[in-house]
Amino acid sequence: MRLSIKLLAFGAMLAIGAVNTTSALAVDKDQVIKDRQALMKEQGGDMGSVKGYLDGTADQAKATAAATDLIETMKKIPDVFPPGTEGANPEGKYAPKPEVWSDSKGFLAVRDTAADKAEALLAAVKGGDKEKIQTAFSDLGKNGCGGCHGKFREEIKK
Amino acid sequence: MARGAYLAAAAGCDQCHTDTKNGGAGYAGGRPMMTEFGTISTPNITPDAATGIGGWSETDFARAMRWGIARDGSHYVPTFPFSYFAGLNDRDLADLKVFLDSLAPVSRPKIAAPQSLALLARARAAIGAAIMTNFASPLPAPSDPMAARGAYLVATVGHCGDCHTPLTWLGAPDPGRYLAGSHGGLEGKSAPNITPDSKTGIGDWSTRDIVALLKDGETPDGDFVGASMAEIVRNTARLTEDDRRAIAAYLKTLPAKSFIKKK
Repeated sequence: MRLSIKLLAFGAMLAIGAVNTTSALAVDKDQVIKDRQALMKEQGGDMGSVKGYLDGTADQAKATAAATDLIETMKKIPDVFPPGTEGANPEGKYAPKPEVWSDSKGFLAVRDTAADKAEALLAAVKGGDKEKIQTAFSDLGKNGCGGCHGKFREEIKK
Repeated sequence: MARGAYLAAAAGCDQCHTDTKNGGAGYAGGRPMMTEFGTISTPNITPDAATGIGGWSETDFARAMRWGIARDGSHYVPTFPFSYFAGLNDRDLADLKVFLDSLAPVSRPKIAAPQSLALLARARAAIGAAIMTNFASPLPAPSDPMAARGAYLVATVGHCGDCHTPLTWLGAPDPGRYLAGSHGGLEGKSAPNITPDSKTGIGDWSTRDIVALLKDGETPDGDFVGASMAEIVRNTARLTEDDRRAIAAYLKTLPAKSFIKKK
């Protein structure tokens, strides 16, 4: 009888431990996914500001700050895709494809491409020539952002 | 020829008829495509006599483009959007042929048509096509000339409904849900609702927003489309700014439909 109580207590401890570990991991993953979505939204906002400058609704200073932030946020991309964080934000429309991790070399190469194009965009914004900014903007959007979204992102089937 | 080249770019003929992944020559076909009829390989549409469409008459070309019937009398699978191209006007069809005839002929061995085509799916599609020979648009053309130009680009040349209009059980586009979004369209991908419904469509998008998407693939929240639509943006980016505006003007005239979510 005493043995079984001991066993029961031990079992209970294990159970509590297990619950704790899982929930701790789950919280981490949830946080990473939230950070990931926030980072992408921040980049989207930055692109919007550059677009605003092109359309005449934002000034050059705002566009410069946005292009600078794009360069900074590109550096953070590997941080928001650590291994074991597959899955989508429940409020989001997209999920990373498994290739982000199975082809991490390819994934990081696309990120490098995007980072280079962000540098080119900042240089163009500083130069102030709207035609050049438009070219750099389209290039970053289509081949940087869009390049990754095509290869490494998929829509959540709802 | 310039007109034909522009139309080919707008319709994106080269997207399917080029085996880009394996470095195939433009318009020489060979791109594998997953369809409900099995994986098919797109045909060579350069003017090579043996393996392409060299020597085709205008009638041969028109029959293929409007009815999906090859010169040898065989039928194309409806992955080739002939039901949309049925609405192309005679001049555009002629210009397209002049352009294709001007290409350098490329010899590319024909890949045998897959024998194990899903017969039922094919029969169903044939009935669907027979009921509705012109898939382009169930709506009357808008009276405003700009929107009418947009209608032609969206419904016929761009065959947007190929992905954005859901199919009925017969496999023909549902006329009551024109451009209202589809689950599992071409290559099993879903496509969003592009009617002006504020909640589930693009009702809140300005003309500028629509033009930005067609030009750079940028959505109003600064996101950039990838995958299937990115391929289409390669076509719409080649349009003139006026044509992109015409598309936006037309989309805004559509009746707003609510996107039906999958159960």
